[in-house]
Amino acid sequence: MSHSHDENNIQHLYEGDQSKLYSGVMNHHSDINSTESKAQVANILKITLYLAIITIVEVIGGLYLYHYLPKGIINTAFLILTVVKSAFIVKVFMHLGDEVKWFRFCVLIPLALFIWFIIAFMYDGGAWLKINRGNPTRIDYIKTK
Amino acid sequence: MSQATATTAPTTKAFGGGRSPFNVSYGKMMMWFFLLSDAFTFSAFLISYGTTRFFNAVWPDANTVFHSFPFAGAHAEWPLMFVSLMTFILILSSVTMVLAVHAGHYNDKQGVIKWMLWTIIGGIAFLSCQAWEWTHLHHQAAWWGSFTDITASRDVYKHFFKPEVLASATPEQLSQSTNNFFNFFFTITGFHGCHVASGVVLNIMLLVNTVNGTYERRGHYEMVEKVGLYWHFVDLVWVFVFTCFYLL
Repeated sequence: MSHSHDENNIQHLYEGDQSKLYSGVMNHHSDINSTESKAQVANILKITLYLAIITIVEVIGGLYLYHYLPKGIINTAFLILTVVKSAFIVKVFMHLGDEVKWFRFCVLIPLALFIWFIIAFMYDGGAWLKINRGNPTRIDYIKTK
Repeated sequence: MSQATATTAPTTKAFGGGRSPFNVSYGKMMMWFFLLSDAFTFSAFLISYGTTRFFNAVWPDANTVFHSFPFAGAHAEWPLMFVSLMTFILILSSVTMVLAVHAGHYNDKQGVIKWMLWTIIGGIAFLSCQAWEWTHLHHQAAWWGSFTDITASRDVYKHFFKPEVLASATPEQLSQSTNNFFNFFFTITGFHGCHVASGVVLNIMLLVNTVNGTYERRGHYEMVEKVGLYWHFVDLVWVFVFTCFYLL
């Protein structure tokens, strides 16, 4: 094989030989009509159905159940459904579920920062709420601006 | 997932050297890390929205703000319907994207072209919906930095609050919360819309390259996977925006 960078072999400069990297569902196959391929498409459509059902449940919740159920319960349900939905998207659509274990950890572990993030911001909001209650004229700032 | 167990059985320990413990290409890994950082940017927006909402005495009611639908007339009462449509459009364009990635795994050039086209159409449809919604809200006087006049009549807030809240809240509370709500709404949906718009541009570039046979010559469609990751992320962010602005 020639090592000159002509039109035909310049591609390896952009990306290496991917066939050595992937395995499982992300491996390179040849027959789009194989049973394996059809099973994967069926799985994608199944997840689509789940996402659609969850969205419909959320909309029903937002339209009707909101008036009957306590706010805390319905909001917790919304947040759980949101996380479930995003987990489906990340695991199946973004193929994170098909990556090797160490790479999954690499992506998921930094998300633990959100725990601190949310606590810190809500604490901040609580402090502001306290200030607002003690000082109702704070709005003057907006008025004079 | 069953396929996950089919990954190559390691002959040595993951960090024993001789092979990548992550088993992904550099470009794809960096796309993941970019998306992680972008996730923190978006969550900073959404969490500060939550904080602001938390310290306001009143807040606009989503079912009142978002109740209209194109061509349904000025007095249509279809709460949440339009945004649900937008959500479905984005989810479906995510599905067509994953089908394009799937076709790429099988080196099916025609399949990639077909599904990329649908994805681009979905993205443009979503952006059009958003443009309509922004225009509609703008006609109700909503914009960045709007509703700062506390001497204004209560009537200007009638599109945004439940009647009982509108009647009982002070002008200061109405002004502050509506101002905050729309600052966050336009900033966050605008930042998300920018992501969708750049995603559509990337998708079009991808389609052109696929049609030209660039990836076929390269022997793999990894670029479809990488842009696909970005596109799914945009969908993912919308899932959270939908919850924060329209449901909670």
